[in-house]
Amino acid sequence: MLMPVAVTQQETIEEEVRALEEELKPDVVRIRYDIGQDWTGDWSIFFRILLSDRASGRRLGRVARNVREVIKQRIRPKELGLIPYCSFRSESEQSELKDPAWM
Amino acid sequence: MPYHDDLLAQAGHLAQLDRTRPKQVNLRRAISAAYYAMFHLLIASAVNNWRIERQRADLSRAFEHKKMKGVCNNLVSRNADLAMVAETFVVLQQNRHRADYDNARVWTRVEVRDHIRSVKDAFAAWGRVRSQPQAQDFLLSLFVPERR
Repeated sequence: MLMPVAVTQQETIEEEVRALEEELKPDVVRIRYDIGQDWTGDWSIFFRILLSDRASGRRLGRVARNVREVIKQRIRPKELGLIPYCSFRSESEQSELKDPAWM
Repeated sequence: MPYHDDLLAQAGHLAQLDRTRPKQVNLRRAISAAYYAMFHLLIASAVNNWRIERQRADLSRAFEHKKMKGVCNNLVSRNADLAMVAETFVVLQQNRHRADYDNARVWTRVEVRDHIRSVKDAFAAWGRVRSQPQAQDFLLSLFVPERR
């Protein structure tokens, strides 16, 4: 099985994600991610982006568009051989679900 | 209203149900409907180019999810609208797969609203780009086998 370039770049990806997390505050509370394969077997990076409740309301569209764009420009997933997938949740939703993958 | 527009409207409707505590079944069906809205938008755009109307339904059966995802994922275009349509298709297909088959996955309203909004943006982008030659070439590539 062919591995993406990203496998050797995990430290760089981690640093870049932590930097993005800081830059995107207060709309973004935290960013978690995994690298794996999607349903067709393509290598992918799955971002879980926790948003503040304010950012998850009427501004959700604008905030999500911006986060996706910043991820595309800064992490450059395609160049790492990864398809980026972003999921957004609000702080309120997460505090109810207490999903460990989002903590 | 065209089928793809109905599907997108249905996705929005399902996502708004159960005001205080959304049911997983409605959120899952909303994601699925949003993906199929994109799927049928592209198919309708392609088959409507076929002059013989009675053959369009048969032609629409030539489209395969995996093939379409591969074309969208490999698309290299400087046209931001076309690139956005392709990216949204890939993302929604993956999410539709999880929504329909991964029962352990929990969905939230914010996630679903975001995906539906992405599809609405993609519909608007497709409206702007659909008549351009590169968009028409893209449609053809969605179902024609690759040259070897």
